[in-house]
Amino acid sequence: MPLLLVLHWKYGAGSPLPSVNATCATRHQCHSSVMSQIRNQLAQLNSSANALFILYYTAQGDPFPSNLDKLCAPNVTDFPAFHANGTEKAKLVELYRIIAYLGASLGNITQDQKLLNPNALSLHSKLSATADVMRGVLSNVHCRLCNKYHVAHVDVAYGPDTSGKDVFQKKKLGCQLLGKYKQVIGVVTQSF
Amino acid sequence: MGRPAAPARNPEPMAFFAVFRTAFLLAVLSWRTCQSEVLPERLPLTPESLHISINSTLQHLHLQWTVHKLPYQELQMIFQIEISRFETSKVIWMGNYSTTVKRNQVLQWSWESELPLECATHFVRMKSTVDDARFPELSFSSNWSPWEEVHAHTPEQNTDLIFPRDKLVEEGSNVTFCYNSGINQNISCYLDRELIHGEQLYLNIFTFKLNNVPFIREGGTNIYCAVNYTIKDGTVLFVSKVLEEPKDFSCETQDFKTLSCSWDPGVDTGLFFDGQPSQHYTLFESFSGKKKFCEHNNQCNWEISRDLQETYNFTLTAENYLRKRSVNTIFNLTHRVHPKAPDSIHFNNVGATNATMTWKMPALGNYSTLLCQIELHDKENMRQEHNVSIKVNGEFLFSELMPDTAYMVCIRCANAKHVWKWSKWVTRTLITAEAAPSKALDVWRKVKPEKGLHHVTLFWKPLSKFHANGKILFYNIVAKDLDKKSELKLQSIPAPANGTELTLDQGSYQIQVTANNSVGASPASEIVISGDSGNEEVEEQKINGTKDGFLISWKPLSEDRAGYVVDWCEHQRNLHCELQWKNVGPNTTSTVISSDAFRPGIRYNFRIYELSTEKIAYLVENKIGYTQELAPSDSPQVKAINVTSHSFTLSWKDYDTEAQRGFIQGYRVCLKSKATQCHLDSVAELLPDNSTCCEHAINNPKQKIFLVENLQPESFYEFFVSSFTSAGKSPIGTFTKVTTQDEHSHMLMHIILPMVLCVLLIAVMCYWKSQWVKEKCYPDIPDPYKSSILSLIKSKESPHLRIMNVKDCTPDTIEVVNKSEGTKTQFIGIEKPLTESEFPKPANLYLLPAQDFCVPGPCISFVNHTYSESACDSGSCAHTPVPDTAPPCHLELLASPDNLLNTLEKTHTDSLGEIPAGKISLNYVSQLASPMSGDKDSLLIHSPVPVLCSEYKMQMAVPSCLDSPVLSENGSLSSMTLLGQDKHYH
Repeated sequence: MPLLLVLHWKYGAGSPLPSVNATCATRHQCHSSVMSQIRNQLAQLNSSANALFILYYTAQGDPFPSNLDKLCAPNVTDFPAFHANGTEKAKLVELYRIIAYLGASLGNITQDQKLLNPNALSLHSKLSATADVMRGVLSNVHCRLCNKYHVAHVDVAYGPDTSGKDVFQKKKLGCQLLGKYKQVIGVVTQSF
Repeated sequence: MGRPAAPARNPEPMAFFAVFRTAFLLAVLSWRTCQSEVLPERLPLTPESLHISINSTLQHLHLQWTVHKLPYQELQMIFQIEISRFETSKVIWMGNYSTTVKRNQVLQWSWESELPLECATHFVRMKSTVDDARFPELSFSSNWSPWEEVHAHTPEQNTDLIFPRDKLVEEGSNVTFCYNSGINQNISCYLDRELIHGEQLYLNIFTFKLNNVPFIREGGTNIYCAVNYTIKDGTVLFVSKVLEEPKDFSCETQDFKTLSCSWDPGVDTGLFFDGQPSQHYTLFESFSGKKKFCEHNNQCNWEISRDLQETYNFTLTAENYLRKRSVNTIFNLTHRVHPKAPDSIHFNNVGATNATMTWKMPALGNYSTLLCQIELHDKENMRQEHNVSIKVNGEFLFSELMPDTAYMVCIRCANAKHVWKWSKWVTRTLITAEAAPSKALDVWRKVKPEKGLHHVTLFWKPLSKFHANGKILFYNIVAKDLDKKSELKLQSIPAPANGTELTLDQGSYQIQVTANNSVGASPASEIVISGDSGNEEVEEQKINGTKDGFLISWKPLSEDRAGYVVDWCEHQRNLHCELQWKNVGPNTTSTVISSDAFRPGIRYNFRIYELSTEKIAYLVENKIGYTQELAPSDSPQVKAINVTSHSFTLSWKDYDTEAQRGFIQGYRVCLKSKATQCHLDSVAELLPDNSTCCEHAINNPKQKIFLVENLQPESFYEFFVSSFTSAGKSPIGTFTKVTTQDEHSHMLMHIILPMVLCVLLIAVMCYWKSQWVKEKCYPDIPDPYKSSILSLIKSKESPHLRIMNVKDCTPDTIEVVNKSEGTKTQFIGIEKPLTESEFPKPANLYLLPAQDFCVPGPCISFVNHTYSESACDSGSCAHTPVPDTAPPCHLELLASPDNLLNTLEKTHTDSLGEIPAGKISLNYVSQLASPMSGDKDSLLIHSPVPVLCSEYKMQMAVPSCLDSPVLSENGSLSSMTLLGQDKHYH
């Protein structure tokens, strides 16, 4: 069982994958166009990131829409790094970390928003759709890393656990993360 | 704000020890008091082990302490408590807590802070006083306990924080927020963009108070603070709606097994996220002591115990995070019976006028008597209402029902002893059986006598549902000859019909009409057609109608009558009359006829018949009228006749006045002329085009002719005739133009007419004597003796020249000068039909005038050498005998003219070329010569015929028609039989 495959994160998941050495194996060979698929998926994420961001901060109510620089600034300190000028392998590894991080955070945000704003259906839909595409990216990146670069293990990190935080902090952290996501996904998409 | 935390108990008296201990304590206390003045030693009964905890959500400080060395098992004590904020010296609250203290008891007390506890450090101390009447000697205060400092736990290490976090309050309450800025800055806080008034509480602590907070949204409201317009932090305030007391709380049973309690919960106080779930409800019954948590917000089911507890006392409690609300009800079980709806409802023995209904009441068993309410409705109203008492099974007989009628039967039941609630209505449809129709048809007739017969059209009005008693299937018509006393006609007309036609002779007939349904026939309607029916004639009388109808009155014909009938056509102008009639009683001589179908401008004709006791109808009066007269829609078509120099007559004989939209009262003749003034018998009328005309009035509607007089000769006039009713004139149309005649024209007629007659007479005479004139003046064959040539001869005095006398000649021989054997025209012997392109062109049409060849009669032409020598010299002489049966020329149908022309030209040329000039001699054909026969190459020459016409021609070629003989190549006569022989070429 490749530990690389973290395709199904859950709400509250915050612990890194256990570091276990395992052989890199996939059930099927990667499709020859897997990189193209990754690029398309990144482009899809990039094209919808801003809309998701807007939907999110609008649903949080005042003062979020009018104070984005303060409340939604992309100040996510533990966000995985990405080096656009690295090799494809390095970029794929970093992309994997980023998507894993984002996926987990997005799960938390989705869960919170369903409770906080149960009537914001378009936001819920957009969050779920983004998470779905991220799962696809993660699968493709895993396949590429495994088949071409024989990378069996990538250490991943997740965002802070927000379950104990108060509502305003959750709103703020979610907004910051989506701001960061909007920023990062553009860079990542450009680099591929 | 303090709360008691522990209950008190009474100690057991121990008299002896008490006295001893009191004395001992007094001694000790006296000694201690003396010592305390010297040393700060703590007095007994001082609260000890003070422990303070914080409930941030409730903003409570929770105090726990003990009192050591309690001299008695319990004492009534008062604890004086002081709470300071920020510093011990800043006491913000002082209060007493009175309680009975037991030995070794841990005392508890809570204090709710208005300010979030996270905003400041709090200090608490207390001292006690014995307030027990039993031990007055102990009535002194203890020392203050040491100050206890307490800090609320803050979730973040961030100094810039607003408190409380995620605060839940009720709508209308007051909330205080604090902001710990760290340093003294310009702080402003907002609630939904609205600035909240704040104040500095302590160095770096600012408070913001919200009074009477409103409910904004379930998701909470952001409160945020900014330092110098830079947002530093925020929190969410959840405002809950106030929990309402449940309304309309009641319980009932439908089956004595379950009590169903329901209530109106009021508003839902639930909030999103962790704000607050919706309020929940619990049901408590005090007699049984049972409690149940309700799954729904508005109803709860309670199991009835098997012993059928008679009385119940329920308390319903609604609860959320902030509040509890309770309501109570107490009732007797039998007073809360709400039966289920009746079921198994059936109708039995359904007849035309009665039916039995049965039903069952479910679930209640024989526990109680039920009262059932039954209602019977037809389409319009409730017809019957009944109350029936039953146990389980019910039965009721409906009577006095209408046949073939659908009824709605509604039934509901309730507990007969105490009506708490009726069951739901249950509705079923009851349809009664059919019965025979109960009323005779309303029948009327129209009689049209024709050729000794009566064409009778019968009409009847369909029976109302009330009288039909079922679906009418057919109508029976029986006609009885009253003279012969026999039934002649029997017709059965299937429904839905409202009439039929009968043809009867001119005898008297009694006609009976019945309506039939599946059960039987209606009473018969009788009407009698007498021999005079349809022949009655009465004068039309005009009546004036109104929008409401026509008031019609008449005079009775006889004393012995059964009634009257007024009939009319609903749609007068249509071919389809839709005969309507109204029956009027025998003693009535007037009635009002009204109908929604009446329209303005339509003439209605009302005929009033008197019905004899023998059912014979006699026409009494005939009235015509309009509900409202309108102006005529069109004007008469007028002709101007008898135009003279001073008058003309206008006539409009065919103008249909009955088709007009009102009674025509007369006509207006509008005459336009160059004259500026009208004649005395007319008035000037302004026309819509602003021109004027002289209008002559004709007030007799029957006058349809008008003489326009006093006109100027040779003048131009225009006229228009319009009709008018009481509502106005017909519209002005196109004027007709008339020009009067010249005054002297009649004189010219007196001259010209005879002259024309004379010329005609002369022409007739000339035509009649034309042959005679021709013969006299222009004979076809001039008489040489009468010719002028004679004078020329005489003038030249040539002795050799003289006039040849016919009698001197021997004309009966024809000399054939030259003949070429075996040469024929190319047409002879051609077997196959010739197409148009193959035919030669009929050269004769171009060589000779057509009329010369297509003469209708036989004609023999000959060359007269007397006048044609020169022509003969050229060698072109030939004779062309024409058969007497020569048909009209058809060359254009037979052949192409060009081909024929070429052929003939060639033939002619060849013949000229081949025939030696010397062999050609002058030929003469006598008028009396017989055609040559026996020459096989010659044309078919018929027997001689009398010469009908003759003329001089230079016979240069060819026959007059194709079937006439033509010249052969060698110049001899050849047969060119194209038509009339063996072959026809079409």
